[in-house]
Order: sequence, then C-alpha cells, then structure tokens
Amino acid sequence: MSFVVDPALPARRGIGRALLADPMGLAGLVIVVTFVAMALLAPWIAPYDPIALDVKAKFLTPSAAHWAGTDHLGRDLLSRIIWGARLALGIAITSVGIAGVIGLVLGLVAGYGPRWLDSGLVLVFDSLSSLPMIFFALAVITVLGPGTLTLILVIVLVSFPAYARLIRTQTLTLAGADYILAERAMGARPGRIIFRHLLPNVVGPLVILICMDIPVVIMLEAGLSYLNLGVKPPSPSWGNILAEGYTSLRQAPHVVIVAGVPLVLATLGFTFLGEGLRDVLDPRGAGRRWA
Amino acid sequence: MHWSTDRRGFLKTAGASLAAAAALPRFAWAAEGTTLRLRVMSDFQVLDPFGIIGELDDIIPRCTNVTLVRLGDMREGNQWRPWAAEKIEWLDDTRLAFTLRDGLKWTGDFGPVTAADVKFSFERIAGSDSAWAYQFEKLKEVEVIDDRNGVIHLTEPFAPFLIIALPYYGGHIVSQKAVEAAGGSYTTEIPAQCGPYLFDTWEQNQKVTLKANPDWTGEKPAFERVEFYIVTDDQAAQLAYEADAYDFTRVAVGAAAQLKGAMPDGAALIEAPGTRYAWLTINMNAEPLKDIRVRQAIQHAYDGQAVLDGAYDGLVARSTGVVPPTSGYARAQNLIARDVEKAKALLAEAGSEALELNLYALTDGTSQTIAQIIQANLAEAGITINIQPVEDAAYWALGDKTAGESYKSVELVLMNFAGGIDPTENLVWFRPDQIGIYNWSFFDNAEFEGLYQASTTEQDTEKRRAMFNKMEDLMEQSGGFIFICFEPYLALHDADLVPVILADGHPDPVAFRKA
Repeated sequence: MSFVVDPALPARRGIGRALLADPMGLAGLVIVVTFVAMALLAPWIAPYDPIALDVKAKFLTPSAAHWAGTDHLGRDLLSRIIWGARLALGIAITSVGIAGVIGLVLGLVAGYGPRWLDSGLVLVFDSLSSLPMIFFALAVITVLGPGTLTLILVIVLVSFPAYARLIRTQTLTLAGADYILAERAMGARPGRIIFRHLLPNVVGPLVILICMDIPVVIMLEAGLSYLNLGVKPPSPSWGNILAEGYTSLRQAPHVVIVAGVPLVLATLGFTFLGEGLRDVLDPRGAGRRWA
Repeated sequence: MHWSTDRRGFLKTAGASLAAAAALPRFAWAAEGTTLRLRVMSDFQVLDPFGIIGELDDIIPRCTNVTLVRLGDMREGNQWRPWAAEKIEWLDDTRLAFTLRDGLKWTGDFGPVTAADVKFSFERIAGSDSAWAYQFEKLKEVEVIDDRNGVIHLTEPFAPFLIIALPYYGGHIVSQKAVEAAGGSYTTEIPAQCGPYLFDTWEQNQKVTLKANPDWTGEKPAFERVEFYIVTDDQAAQLAYEADAYDFTRVAVGAAAQLKGAMPDGAALIEAPGTRYAWLTINMNAEPLKDIRVRQAIQHAYDGQAVLDGAYDGLVARSTGVVPPTSGYARAQNLIARDVEKAKALLAEAGSEALELNLYALTDGTSQTIAQIIQANLAEAGITINIQPVEDAAYWALGDKTAGESYKSVELVLMNFAGGIDPTENLVWFRPDQIGIYNWSFFDNAEFEGLYQASTTEQDTEKRRAMFNKMEDLMEQSGGFIFICFEPYLALHDADLVPVILADGHPDPVAFRKA
C-alpha cells in the first residue's frame, strides 16, 4: 500500500516502445543484443577452439575454412573474436555491475544518511575520483599483477565513485521532494522510503551511466590487455588480439582489422543504446520526444 | 649595380637554393649534420664497465672509453686490432705486453690514460662480484712498467684472453683517479671519458646523444654526433625507420619475408647467423621443480619445431646448446626429444599431475609468441602455464640475488643472451658462481665447472669440442634448460651506411662508415 503517488513513476511506461522508435537507440540495441548473443553462444557458434595452435597455418587470410583468417599462431580469428566478446562483455558487465551496486548503496547511504556519514563518503568518492584512471590502474596492476580479477577490481574501484556521487545527488534532490516529506510526515520508515520511492527514481540515471560506461570499460580492458597488463594470454581478449596483430601489421593486416571491427562496433552499440536510454529516461528528453 | 628583392622573391630564391643543395648526394649527410642515428631496444642503466648489463650499457662505453683492442664485424670473422694499445704482443704463454697510444687523454683534467689506469680497470673487476669477473679469471696482475707500458700477467696460459677480456664489457678502461674520486664506481655519469665521442645528453627512455670528442687524437669517426633512439617495439622501430627516424635498426625475425619482398627505398638488409642464443630456464631450486622428473617432463613436452616455425618463421634450426654452430664446437643434437606421453608419465610418477607454473618472458612479440607456444605444448602434458610478461628492467631483477629472494623461486624464464666468440664466453654464465647473477636455473655441477676450467687452457680443438659437448650434455641432463635456437641477426640500415656489428650482436658506432 502506498501512502503517496510517486509522480516520477508513470514516465517510465513505454520505455521499450520509445527506444525502438529511436533509430540510434534501435541500432544500439541490435548491436548490443548481437554481441550478448555471441558471448552467450560462444561455445556453440565458434567454429574452432580459440586457443588451439596450428603454427603451420599462421596468417591465413580470410577464406571458407577461416572466415576471418588466422593469427600468428594459426588460431582461428573468428573463434577468438567470438570468445573475446564473452570476455569483453563479461568483464565489462561484471565490473560495472559490481561498481553500480556499490555506487547505488553508498550513494543512497550518503544521500539519505546522517550528515557526518555523507561527508565521510563524499571524501572517499572525491579521493578516488581524483586519481587519474590509467595511472591508478597501472599502480594496482603493478601491485597485484595482471589478470582478469585484477582488471575487474581496477574497473570497480575507478567506476563506483562516479555512480555513488550520481545516486547521492539524486537522493538529496528527491529527499526534499514534497511526496517524500509527506511520506515521512505520515510515519514511513527510512527503509520504505529508500526502497519504495528513492531507489526506483534514482536507478534510471544509473542505468544510463552504466550503459555509457560499458564501452569505456571495454576499451580500458582492451587497452590494458594490449599493454600486456590485462587479460593474460592465451585468453582471446580483443586487446590481446590487437596487440598480437600489431606485431605483424605489415605481414597480416587482417588481424588488426578483424580485432578492431568488433571493438568499434561494441563501443558504438553501447554508446548508441546509452544515448537512446538517456533520451527515453531523462525527463527533459522524454518531454521533448513524447510531446 | 642595383640589387633588390621582395619577400616573395627571397623565398623563391631560398627555396630553389635549398632544393638544389638537398639534391646533391654529398649533402645528404650534411643535411643531418653528419649525425649517425641508431635505434636501440632499451635505455642504459649502468655505464661503469664494472656493472654494465646490456645493449646500450656496452655500446656507450665503446664510444666514450677505450679498450686495448677492438673487434671487427662479426660477419667478417671478428678480427681484432689494437685500439688504445699502440702495440700489444704475447711475450710468452702467460705474459701480454702492451704500449698505450700517445695522446689518449681523460676529460676533466684527469690527465693521460696510463698503464696504471689499465691495471686499476682490470684488477677491480678480477675476482669481484662483477658479472664480467670471468673475463679476468686468469688474470694474475697488470704490471705497470711506465705511464704507457705494462705487462698483463696470467695465472696460466689462456689464449682466448685477448678476445674475451680486452675488447668489450669489463675490458673498457676507466680513469683510476676519476673513479676513485667518484667513490669507487659510478652509474649514469661517467666521471672521465676518453673516446672518439663524449656523452652529451640523455632523455630517459627516449634518446641518448654523443658528440665528437675534440681532444680525441685517434682515427676520427665518420660522424660528428651519434644519437641513440630507444624504441622497444620492433614493429614501431621498423615503421619509424621507414619514416627516416634513424639510419639503423634491428628488425624482428618475422619481418624478414616482408622486407625481402619490398625493401624500403634506399635501405639494405643485414641477414646473418646470430650469436644471440635463446633458451628456457627451468629453475631447479623452485619448489615445484625440485623433482628432476618434473623438469624432464617439461623438456619432453616442449615442441622445438613449433617454436621455430611459429616464432622464427623456420629461418633457424633448433640449437643443441649455447655454443654456436658457427664456432665448430656445437653438439650434434639434443639428448631429449618431444614425447608427450613420457612427459605425462613422468609427471604422474612425480605426483605432479596438476602442475601450474609461471613462465616469465619479455614483452616483445617474439618472446610472447614463444611463451604462448610453450604454454600450448606443456598444456598437452597437463601442465598449466601462466605467462607473466615482464618489462626489461623488472625482467633482469628476476634472477638477481641483489634484488631480493625471488631468484630462488622464479620458475620458468624465457631467456636470450648476447654471445661471444669463444664457447667459454657463452658457457660461463652457467657456472655455480653465477647463481643469483645470470645462472637462473640454479645449475650447480662440479663436473661442468671442472670441464670449464680445463677448456680454458686446453689448446687441442678436438679435446675442447668434447669438453664443450659434455658440458652441454650436463646442462640438458640437469633438466634446467631447454635450448631453443641461435636467433638470426636481422637489421635494416641506410644503403649508404656501412655498419659494424660486434660478436655480441650490438653495433660499434665508432666504426660505422659512410659508403
């Protein structure tokens, strides 16, 4: 039973329809769904074992047997790209997901909790945000050593402060809204206010931000793997494939191209989808589009 | 006469003049200020001959310090010639007399280069913990006759002394007064120089510049300045070469086929048998590798041909040790052949079926390719390999006992060393006293040491060959080594340049000439 009608909730109706009506959002959705499907179905759709070596067959150009050709160790590039999608999305979604949950909880606590706790948390958020991302990542990797778990940890640590700050700001704004004040005046407990009213209203912008961050994280993973600081070989990270392709750029340019295309597409897809979601979920944008 | 011009006219005239000047072949070098530009793979760390480590560490002293003798190009048989010595000759089997050239003078008012400097330079390294102490292992003393004359006394006859000890590394002469004033050693600032070039500028990890030494009285080098560009990545280096960023660079083995098909304009390719030997170190002191059956399982699981095909395009054959085939002393074959089933059986016998090991390798493309092939080879036998890419500086600390305790437990390391002329120069690194220095396998074999000592004085070629072959047998039987290959030497240079490459595979800029 609700004491007060939440004015923000009705705006969320028709999100899917609105997204499909937006060409950019639709394109993003199609690309993202394709990559997610590729990642989920990798064991069944990859034509070869992505780490099986066949050095006699190295640098084969695309053909019927190897649609995307082979790399410097004769590994099938299409299979590596497909498995690479699983790795890239797995790392990106896992890390920003964890960061999102941490950011959500800490942001709500900071925004709705006591003042002293808010000040302490903001200090933590600001301290972490002030660290240059790439240098911070390099420092953590130097201490813990490269690897997938380290990579996820780095991304979580560099991402959650921004999410927490966003949620905190949203919470502070909403906490002073009339309907929240009315709830409090009618004796609603903090848990009810947070979970029933604040959480549904602050999650939208967080989803947009997370969606916009996924391509950044994919690029970060690829970049660190390219520098031998991310996913360890022979895992088929797109960054690893790019780095290995780069060393044979003259002999076999197709390797870099094959590794670059999914990276570009995934980045574009998540960006388009994020922008589409922003247009749909942002009240100002919504007003513009749904007028 | 009335002469006038305007801005446009001036620019036209100036442009035409510059274009004409640039078109003259003799001006091509002048356009770059007679500067020799070389690409090297990593920055220097120590310039004191006592502690020099790698590529640029040794190339710079070749330019800023003198040695008694200097070697010629490795492709022309490593012929030696006197350098700081005006005259050098054996008085008998254990006495080598030298006379220093007149006019060799240290910078910084440290006076002329003297026989006392030679004595100081050699005797500070002999018997020390310097990596180059092996060069002076047979040194008894340097007797100073006068300022320019001295006699090197050996403890026993050692014919290769002249080419092992004197031309490079610890053979560089330093100023006794300057080094003592600097506290007995130095790192990146040379306290006194005497060579065809002087150290000029250093942009860390970017560039090192040397300038001609105005007080140099010896044969003038062909270039006024030498610039070293530090570019780790071979692919980037090749692209930069093609963009005329420098005049000489080593290139990756994998680039050979492409280069032969389409050489950059005005470039020439050096393709020569290399003296740089590559192998896999298996640290028998590391806990999981203490059982010889485990080490032998790794040796049996290794697929040498796959590595050669995958990382070296099949350009080289598998090596049978660290003694180069070109020396005439190499073994006929390895003792252990690939046998995955045997590897599995050995692991089962040792109770190490779920073995997981770390393999350290430099970040360059060739090293990473080899590492991945080894990873796949060993996976067939059930061994999980975690590849740990390591940057240059951290890499050399892996087996260094002065850098901590990790040298005792590092498991597998992909290694390659610059080779020498005499086989003892390559075998020296696997002696017991090199544990914690360059012997990262913890290979400690008394028979090996005895054979090493005997080989330094043995004059008979056949007997020496048998000794070297046996030493490599012992290395392989220990399970501490998998011999990979002698890496081919590939370099690109301007066709109007005559490079000189020494036996260690590094250039001697002083000897570079214009064609």
